Amino acid sequence: MTTRARTRRLYGVHALADTVTMLRRSLRHAWRSPSMTLTVVGMPVVTLLLFTYVLGGALGDGIGGPYARGGAYVDYVAPGIILTAATAGALVTAVAVCVDVTDGLGDRFRTMAISRASFLTGHVVGSLVQTLLSVLLVLAVAVLAGFRPDATPVEWLAAFGVLTLLTLALTWPAALVGLVARTPETASNVPMPVQFLPFLGSAVVPPETMPAGLRWFAEYQPFTPATDTLRGLLTGTAVGGSALAAVAWCGGLAAVGYVWARSAFDRGAGRRGVPEARGGPGVPGGPGGPGGPGYEG
Amino acid sequence: MLRDAGTLTGRCVRLSARQVDAVITALALPVMLMLVFVYFFGGAIDTGTRYVTYVVPGVLALCAGFGAATTAVSVSQDMKDGIIDRLRSMDVSGTAMLTGHVLASAVRNTVATAVVFGVAFLIGFRPGAGAAGWLAAGAVLIAYILALSWLSAAVGLLVRSPEAAGGFTFFVMFLPYPSSAFVPIETMPGWLHGFSEHQPATPVIESLRELLLGQPAGATAWQALAWCGGIVAASVPAAAALFRRRTRG
Repeated sequence: MTTRARTRRLYGVHALADTVTMLRRSLRHAWRSPSMTLTVVGMPVVTLLLFTYVLGGALGDGIGGPYARGGAYVDYVAPGIILTAATAGALVTAVAVCVDVTDGLGDRFRTMAISRASFLTGHVVGSLVQTLLSVLLVLAVAVLAGFRPDATPVEWLAAFGVLTLLTLALTWPAALVGLVARTPETASNVPMPVQFLPFLGSAVVPPETMPAGLRWFAEYQPFTPATDTLRGLLTGTAVGGSALAAVAWCGGLAAVGYVWARSAFDRGAGRRGVPEARGGPGVPGGPGGPGGPGYEG
Repeated sequence: MLRDAGTLTGRCVRLSARQVDAVITALALPVMLMLVFVYFFGGAIDTGTRYVTYVVPGVLALCAGFGAATTAVSVSQDMKDGIIDRLRSMDVSGTAMLTGHVLASAVRNTVATAVVFGVAFLIGFRPGAGAAGWLAAGAVLIAYILALSWLSAAVGLLVRSPEAAGGFTFFVMFLPYPSSAFVPIETMPGWLHGFSEHQPATPVIESLRELLLGQPAGATAWQALAWCGGIVAASVPAAAALFRRRTRG
């Protein structure tokens, strides 16, 4: 093994260890301040109950087919609401990153001999863990409300794969929002419209019931293929080309979000205070700069 | 006392106008809900009439209720900031302070519901009410705003922080959902009927719907006013007692 390969492998091990440390920190923070987590979990549960029991009768009759006249509208709506639980992770990430940055922790981590990627990756993976736990809770409530998925083990795995990919697609751009937002309040407001988007797709009613212009929007926005894929995997309805579209949307958003957030963090986005004139973070010879500790090459 | 209440109403209205984000939320949330329900969900909901005609009275009640509930936050904020102590040292009565908050809420929410109504008109809501119907609908709406504002003032004095008071606004915002605001009660499960038919938002929404569409309101309007009167009758003494307890010593 060449020296370069050994160095690269060693760096990979360090980067992973740093990310795990940051992940532990992120999860500890979530555990110690449960109000945000409870909100993130609570809203989809309340929404599910609202659409199942209060609005479900009228909406089920409107959709028709197996959902009409007291049929299990919950089978139609549950996958859409489970998806909204996944969108909540974006809010958690944006706020958590912004709090760290405004507290000056981002600058401190930049000056330490740790992997640059680990700060954001720890937040994103922490948010992913919280989101998947929230999804499980929403799923449990949906089952109690009458949702009866008939997925095979492979389909369950695929469904969680879609949810994981969607969460990453939303949390990486949210990390960028957290870096550039001036206050945690701003950081929490920016992802709000994203949480609203699934409702403007096929989460609650099929796009065919909407007026022409809105139907076009509902059919071609990123959440519709994700919702249809999840519904297909869990309840056995046709998935068609929506799985490919969902993976393409999520993969694309996650990749763009990752690259953009990483470059923003490396450039020092969200840095509070005056950057050092010489030997500061990212400056050649300084911590994180070429030849300095924490440099990634 | 009346002059004090007027002065404090002016203060609360000015404070509200300066909180731009809160103003935008109070206006945008009901408008967004109305647009989403009319355009995205409305095609799948059969109410026996155009859905916009059915849903607007419910959204007006939701807007009025949500806006009135924010009184809890402003009262709680004043208690926390110590403004109350300063005013009490100037021999301003507690009733005047609370009345100021409530009247400011009435002003704020009358404007907000007018904006929502304007948007409703733009998207096709066509009320068929005569002058008497309009006056009666306005009276029901203002009574509902005042009732919830007094209740909110009491809650604002009961809780210890503005954040906790904020939780109450969400409770009030969800109240119109299990009513006839968005879908007919008959479409809900049987076990929900009892609550949906006998909660305060339902007669308010039903009477607004009947009055604005030029139909005879009958007993529904009186039921709505009875609910509002009952809430005020319970909330005013409760708020006064809580205020005395919070400012004692």
